[in-house]
This record gives sequence, structure tokens and C-alpha cells, in this order.
Amino acid sequence: MNNIMDDTAKYVLQIERLKKSFGKYTVLTDVSYSLPKGEIAAIIGPNGAGKSTFFNLITGYHLVDGGTIRFMGTEIANWPRHRIARKGISRAFQVSNIYARLTTFENVRQAILTQQKRTLNIFTPAHRLARKNTLDLLEQTGLLPHKDTLAGILSQGDKKKLELALALAGKPELLLLDEPTAGMSSEETHETMQLVKRLNREMGLSILFTEHDISVIFGYARKLSVLYQGTVIAEGTPEEVRNNKEAQKCYLGEEV
Amino acid sequence: MILFLLAVILPYIVPVFWVHVLTEILIMGLFAASFNMIFGYMGQLTFGHAAYYGVGAYTTGLLMVKANVPLLVCLPLSMLSAGLCAAVLGYFCVKLRGIYFAILTMAFGQLVYYIIFQWYTFTGGDNGLQGIVPPAFLGKAANPYYFFTLIVVAIGMIALWIISESPFGYTMRAIRDNAERTEFIGINIQRYMHLNFIIAAMFAGLAGALWGPFNRSVAPDLCNWQHSGMPVFMAVMGGPFNFLGPLIGSAIYTMLMAFVTSFTEYWPMVSGIVIIVVVLVMPGGLLGLLGDKLPFLRQNGSDTKETNG
Repeated sequence: MNNIMDDTAKYVLQIERLKKSFGKYTVLTDVSYSLPKGEIAAIIGPNGAGKSTFFNLITGYHLVDGGTIRFMGTEIANWPRHRIARKGISRAFQVSNIYARLTTFENVRQAILTQQKRTLNIFTPAHRLARKNTLDLLEQTGLLPHKDTLAGILSQGDKKKLELALALAGKPELLLLDEPTAGMSSEETHETMQLVKRLNREMGLSILFTEHDISVIFGYARKLSVLYQGTVIAEGTPEEVRNNKEAQKCYLGEEV
Repeated sequence: MILFLLAVILPYIVPVFWVHVLTEILIMGLFAASFNMIFGYMGQLTFGHAAYYGVGAYTTGLLMVKANVPLLVCLPLSMLSAGLCAAVLGYFCVKLRGIYFAILTMAFGQLVYYIIFQWYTFTGGDNGLQGIVPPAFLGKAANPYYFFTLIVVAIGMIALWIISESPFGYTMRAIRDNAERTEFIGINIQRYMHLNFIIAAMFAGLAGALWGPFNRSVAPDLCNWQHSGMPVFMAVMGGPFNFLGPLIGSAIYTMLMAFVTSFTEYWPMVSGIVIIVVVLVMPGGLLGLLGDKLPFLRQNGSDTKETNG
């Protein structure tokens, strides 16, 4: 009993024996994973290893076939998506998933008003609410110059920044970033990851991300897990994973 | 504002026939605007909105004919009955999206239509209800009832405008643009869609309530699917992405109908041709087209000051 209590206080996310198949095709065979509070961790693996599916199961996008997902000590597997988001897991998508016909400002304001539970308000004009919070978050994510641009015509890099802003607006405990820097220039990549690092350091936000860019993975993650053929084959600090024979064989190969 | 002034002055300079047309434009405009809360703002096509318009019309009709309830009391009661109806039927509709949403709303609309059509002892069946007269203070002339309608419709439109610009209204736009993302930022989208469905139905009920005393009668056809198609035409013609679009669409549609039917009976054919032209030439409706040509007319959401119709 004591042991479980300790674990709950220590880990933001505890996943055991997670399984998922789509028809005959098994994506995750058996994944167990723990994320300590306040950690920045990365999940790596070749395309099709199940990284996105893993995120989709945590956030309720897909139904779980078996296993448990505990977030801050609460079992959340198969909860509706909006409840998981309310509970404190925000997510930025790999392919940007924004409100194309609203401006950048309106995109972020929508997420902030949702977090503040003001979306049932039908009387006050929205443009009078949450203005400062929205501008602050736009500034923080480097989107202020584009605040009146329709989100659908932003550059790919800015769309990814907006993804991050929408996720942050939810004031999460755990932030899941699915390839946060895909489509960004190297300068933008650096800025974005610095922001992620700062959020982690200053606010104690736990962060889990997937990434293909080796320099981002080894530059920012403190914990690394290698997902291969639906299961975690190696785990540890970046150094440990770099030296792990199996991980080298399956994924890192000649790249390192 | 210009529209409102125009609406005040017009009845003094046009013949009585056109005052009736103007009254109809307003009533149908409110109906179309309420429909557009679901279509333009929430991004779902309802093909059964006339059911709630009809329920509103029958609530006022029955209360006035059978119980002599004053019209001013009937109006909110019509909103209530239409809203209750939508609360039950909408619960099932908002579980679906796209074409399935459209079909289920249409099926429920037809259900309401057949109930009213068959229930002779209560609704008068296909004979409808006759003898719904406007209250004495509005007299028998066309103008007073027109102004009464204008006030009620203006209040209704302002209320819808406020809702559409509120955080709730923006949540509807969010659901329209990207329902999936809206769930992931923490919104129970079915609940919000259900609520919007009820709000839209309440204002359709209010529009319906104005129809009975104007026409001196109500008939089951008000609930029929053909009648559900009218706000679709109006919103598409005027521009579903502009708050005033449906009202402008109602003006075009209703005036065109009044004009064309005065010399030919082939109105449906003419309206069909007009719709084809609108869809092909100006997919954003009339206001969408004007917005492209004259950018200062365009509504850009966050800082528009335009008010009522």
C-alpha cells in the first residue's frame, strides 16, 4: 500500500501492459512505461513503431484494448477525450490540428476560455474576455506578430507553434508533443525547444515528446525510451540508450 | 443599423401588399438566422428545422384560439415548447455528424409533421387552425403588425447576435472548424451541440409564433420538410458565414417569390435556377461575394460592431 502511494506521488504517468490492435494488425503488443513528475522524456522509434498510437491511447483518441493508464494516480484509460484534457493532459499534434478559419488570436483565446470554464457564457462578447492571457501566451510562443492572421494560412512552423500554444493554454500537468519541431527551421526548432525546456524548469511541467531529429532528442530529453515493434526495447538516460546494443541495432544504427 | 432604418421607413412608402411581404421577410429572416446557428456557426446541416418553427406556430395558435392567451404571453411559451421539443429530439441528433445528422433531423421533422397532420382533435389535422387574430391593440391594418414583428424580430436577432459573439458562439465556430481539436482542449462537444440545437430551435419557435397571427391561421405544412428547405436556401443565398446573411437571403428569396408568383406559377423552377446560379457563381452567398469585392464589409470576427436587422 505504502509502495503504491509513493509511486503515485513520484510519477505523473504510469502505464502497464498497454495493448492495441487495429483488426489483425497489432500496433502495441505490451507497453509499460512510467514518467516521473517534472521530467522531459522522449519516445523514439522508427516510423510505424507505435509512437503516435501510444499518444492516441493516453489522450483517449483510440480505445485501449488492454492494460492500464494511470495519470496522477487516477486510472484514465478509455475516458472521454475532453475529460482527459480537463484532468490535465494536453497534446500537440504531429500534423497541425488547429482552427483554420479563426485567427491565431481566436484560436488561443478559445483554448484559454475553455480552460477557464467560460465557454458556456452566452452573454459577454468573447472579444472582451481573456485578452491579456491570450496575448501573453502568444508572446511566449512567438506568435504575437501573426495574431490577426487566419490560422489556416500560417507557415508550417507557425502552425506547429500554435499547436503548442493550444496545448499550453489548457494549463496541463503533462504535455504530450508529437514531433513538435517537424516542419520548422533549425532556428525555430531551437526556440521552440528552449521554450519547452523553460516551461519544464520554471513550472515543473512534465513533458513527453516524440521526435525524429537526433539533435533535439539528445539535446533536450533527460529520459529516452525506444519503441520498436509495439514494445519498449530500451530505456534510460540518453547516454545509456546510445550505448545500448539492441537500440543501436533497431533504430539508431549508423546515425550515431 | 441602415437596414433597421430602412425597415422603419419602408412601410410608409410601399403598397400594403409589400408590407405583408416585408413582414414575411422578417419572420423568415429570424427563422433562417436561427437555422444558421446550426448551419453556419456549428457546421451541421439540419433539414428538420421547420419542426420547431411549426411547434412554435402551433403553440401560439392553440393557446390563442383555444384558451385566449394574449399574444405577448404566447411568444415566450412558443420558445419554451420548441426548446423542449429540441431538447428531446436534439439529444439523438447531436450524436451524429454530416449527412447522418441531416437525415435524422429530417426524419424527426417529418415525425412532428405527421403527428400534427393526424391529430385532428387537437391540432385540426390537415385543416390547420383558423381564426388566429392579432390582439386588438394591433388593429386590423398591415402596418401595426409589421412594426410589432419588427420589434420582436429585432430583439430575437440581437439576442442571437450576442450569443454568436459570446464564448459559446466561438465554441460553436471551433466545433465547426475542428471538432476533434475542440475535444482535446477539453470540451464535451455533444453537450455544447445539444445546447446550441435547443437555442436555435427556441428562436425558430419564436419566428413560428409570429406567423400564426400574421397569416390568421397555421397549417401542418409549416413543419414539412419543404419548409425546412427554405432557411437552407436563404442562408446559402445570403451567406452563411455572415450573421446577417440569412436575413438578406430571406429578403431576396421572399421578394423574388412575391414578384415571380405574381405572373407565373412556376416559382419552384425559378427558385431552383436562382439557387443553382448562387451556388455556382457565389459560393459564399451574396454577402460572401460582397465581402470579397469590398473588403471593408467583411466580418472578421473579433472586432465587428454590426448589430441588428
